[in-house]
Amino acid sequence: MTQPAPDRRTTELAAAFVDLRTALGRVLIGQDDAATGLTLALLAEQHAYLEGPPGCGKSELAAALAALSGARTHTLVFHRDIRESDLLGDVLLSRHRHRGHERLRRELIPGPLLQAEVALLEDLPRSPGEALGPLLRILAERHALGQPLPLESAVATGPLEQVEAPIDPLEPGQLDRFAVQHRMTGLLTGELFDEAAVLLEREAAREPSEAASRPVAGSAHARAVAGAAPRSAVMSTGTRNAAQRAAASLRIEARTIDAYHRLLDRLRQRSADESASGDRLMSDRSFSSAALRLVRAHAFLRGAPAAAPRDLHAIRYMVAHRLPDEVQEDFDHILEELLGDPPNVTMTETGAQMPGAQSQGDDSDGAAAASPASDSWIDDQADLPAPPTLFGKPPPPAQVDPLLRALVGRIERGRIDPDTDPGGQPRGYRPLRDLDEVIDADVIEALLFTEGRLPGAPRTFERKRRSAGGAVAVLRDISASMAGRLTVWSSQVVLGILRVAARRRMRVGYVEFHHRALPHEVGGRLLHRSYSRLAEQAGQAKAVGQTNYEAPLRTALEGLRGGSGRNRHIVLLTDGLPIIGDTTVRRERQLARRLGVALHTVFLGNGDCPPVLDDISLETSGLRFYGRPTAGGGLRLEER
Amino acid sequence: MNDLTPLGDLLDHHVVGHDEVKTALLLALVTREHIYVEGPPGTAKTRLAEVAAKGSDLDFFFYQLHRDTRLAELVGDIVLERRKVRTDGAAPGTAGEAERIHQRIEPGGLLTAEIAVLDDISRAPGEALNVLLRILNERRFGADPIPLMAAIATGNPMDDEYYNEPLDPANLDRFALQLRVSGLIQSGVDEAKTLIDRFASGSVVEQPDPEPVTDRATLDALHKRMYAVEVGAAVRAALLDVLRTLVLEFECNETNSLLTDRTFLVKAIKILRGAALLAGRDAVDLQDLAALSWMTTFRVPPEAHEALPRIIGRVSRQVRAV
Repeated sequence: MTQPAPDRRTTELAAAFVDLRTALGRVLIGQDDAATGLTLALLAEQHAYLEGPPGCGKSELAAALAALSGARTHTLVFHRDIRESDLLGDVLLSRHRHRGHERLRRELIPGPLLQAEVALLEDLPRSPGEALGPLLRILAERHALGQPLPLESAVATGPLEQVEAPIDPLEPGQLDRFAVQHRMTGLLTGELFDEAAVLLEREAAREPSEAASRPVAGSAHARAVAGAAPRSAVMSTGTRNAAQRAAASLRIEARTIDAYHRLLDRLRQRSADESASGDRLMSDRSFSSAALRLVRAHAFLRGAPAAAPRDLHAIRYMVAHRLPDEVQEDFDHILEELLGDPPNVTMTETGAQMPGAQSQGDDSDGAAAASPASDSWIDDQADLPAPPTLFGKPPPPAQVDPLLRALVGRIERGRIDPDTDPGGQPRGYRPLRDLDEVIDADVIEALLFTEGRLPGAPRTFERKRRSAGGAVAVLRDISASMAGRLTVWSSQVVLGILRVAARRRMRVGYVEFHHRALPHEVGGRLLHRSYSRLAEQAGQAKAVGQTNYEAPLRTALEGLRGGSGRNRHIVLLTDGLPIIGDTTVRRERQLARRLGVALHTVFLGNGDCPPVLDDISLETSGLRFYGRPTAGGGLRLEER
Repeated sequence: MNDLTPLGDLLDHHVVGHDEVKTALLLALVTREHIYVEGPPGTAKTRLAEVAAKGSDLDFFFYQLHRDTRLAELVGDIVLERRKVRTDGAAPGTAGEAERIHQRIEPGGLLTAEIAVLDDISRAPGEALNVLLRILNERRFGADPIPLMAAIATGNPMDDEYYNEPLDPANLDRFALQLRVSGLIQSGVDEAKTLIDRFASGSVVEQPDPEPVTDRATLDALHKRMYAVEVGAAVRAALLDVLRTLVLEFECNETNSLLTDRTFLVKAIKILRGAALLAGRDAVDLQDLAALSWMTTFRVPPEAHEALPRIIGRVSRQVRAV
């Protein structure tokens, strides 16, 4: 359809996008990879997902892309109560008289989001499933309400996956709609102190912004320029679209395709390694059309006439939620090995200078010298710390799923509080029961309802939230006999329980014990929600001393005693007979029964399970599990 | 003596003790940053916030958060605009009247206020707070900038089992300044005696609402002057060293802390300038770094927060020695 443009024109078009990349690179200090990823996304007309800790500049960068590219844009901030009409547009309600009766029809008029060329979707994971489903479909199909959309790229931002955050993280399948995925790291937590110094200097030189003369109260409507200085576009829509067309029709060299096949092989092999943590999703959708569009864009930006194997570097802007973390970290190395020559010059060096040079001309050299290594964008902060390794090589993982499933079942069963909660997330609809709920009702139906023209009640959000109640205390035997593999396995069990607890916002307690109980308290309390801190702790346990059941049970029960709620659990993780203290723990069993705490026991040792563990669990209706070594040297947990 | 001395005096007049909170409130007004004050019930948190807000003659919005807090309660009324349009139905009998319905928000509450007191913020669920805090952070709603200068939030201790809505620490990051207060009587400080004496004497039975003692023009001028306060290379180096110590020695990272670039590389500079201005200086001095501990309260692990004065002292000595 479109013939490749003449060379000079192509050069101009590429130059426009190089300018865009340069300008983007100046917006944030030390976030060059994010700038490159967004540039590639727009050029390849792909969607992008930027994730990072709060305050690292995700939104600013996304907004800058829209402004600098001269695209028609719309920003949508996702939140709990977002509705379909926010996404799609106004409602058109038509009434027709038809053979004596009135017929009501409800349609949607495409709103600003559907007219945007670059759509900014802020805090995307904060949205409930109801709004997210239609949106993701629109993004994939680029078609809504029966018409094609002008959308070129949607840029979404989201927080780093954190177990503490009160949101359900997006699934890899949902994130797969975003071809470009990039994880940003803060300068401070990423230990990029030189870049941090540049930023501090820039801030110290900051002039009072126009913000000092903010619009006075009442004129909040006035579209005054607030905060950051406006950015003017570096290209026209005509140039942008011509460049996108030219990039899309760029030839891909045969050896590039060949190298791509080998790269995919390699990535598949590496991702198959079970011990690697992180997502694995190499979908056909992303790794065929989207990936090759990005490779072409990479070549186009380089000014190359065809995509060479080195342009496969573009793939690394796709991998944040598609490959295990370890493979991501190794990506540059894998590709380099495959290409059989030293790393190619990437765009960071050819396309743009180090940002932060604006109004500090003579500092730019120093800053450039401090430019991060090319792979510094990779965030090596895993969700939870990896289990400790033993002699450098981790043993096969413990299969803790049966235990966790059973435990989750028990936790769910024990839950008394209803799931519905007026402050929760909208999770579906139900008819209005009470006029108070009109605030949460479907606007159009409520309108018709008040006019007496709706048969029945308007539908209103059914709000639910994960029960915040409940508590689980993990008691972990760290006596000398637990050394070696058992330490690693029990760490994995503890981490698994912490994940379950975090997902349900249960308070957790963690007590390591040998002859004494060693509770890990936060702020003087045994039970709290500092999941990741406990996870860190659980990874550091060392095996010493002898076994005593009484002390840890006593500690945990005391901790649980103060709390309210019925959903309280203790998980006792041990490998041996108690030697010290009351070995029958009679008083603790009594106390647990009185408090209604379920004592679950997990026996990990090689020998026979001590009968006292069975007694403990049976009396308190707790679960009984034991761990059996598998042929491959792993561990499988089964019910006793 | 500075332009905010009258407001400081007003706070002293109405509330005994809590000097740090008072200074931090003034700092929030000068730097136009938000502030969060956490403490057990009955420790004058809300009173302090109200006096600071009303004493500065700004458009004032007070909101008590609760479990069912909805967006509309914070930002104004939801308005439905209905417009008649004609439709030409293709099928017979479908032509006729139609109505286009547009839903928008008539700005009110937080969107039109210059200063806001958000009481008991820890009682609202995190999901509801998200939008609110985003508005606070960006100071705009949709595309429209809002006139808000500062929000003062209060809350109960996060780890208090009594309230089952622990505040998401990421949400707390929206408040540049964060302080923890404890009751004078509970902690047995000298001011407890003053407090009791004051009430015993009968001179202060019921405090009327304070009269404004400062105004928008004064605050605008102060805010502008703040940017003239110089932040020298030595102070910047010291600030960076403090941050480096937190990361490298106290192992503050993305999981255990909120050591964000926005707060500690951008806002910290403003806070330091504001602290210098309130102290009557036109350049930030190393002693102004003490204000950093009003930023770290809930952002770094307790042991790192407690060590901060020591870290600042050590870094300052090193910088001075150079």
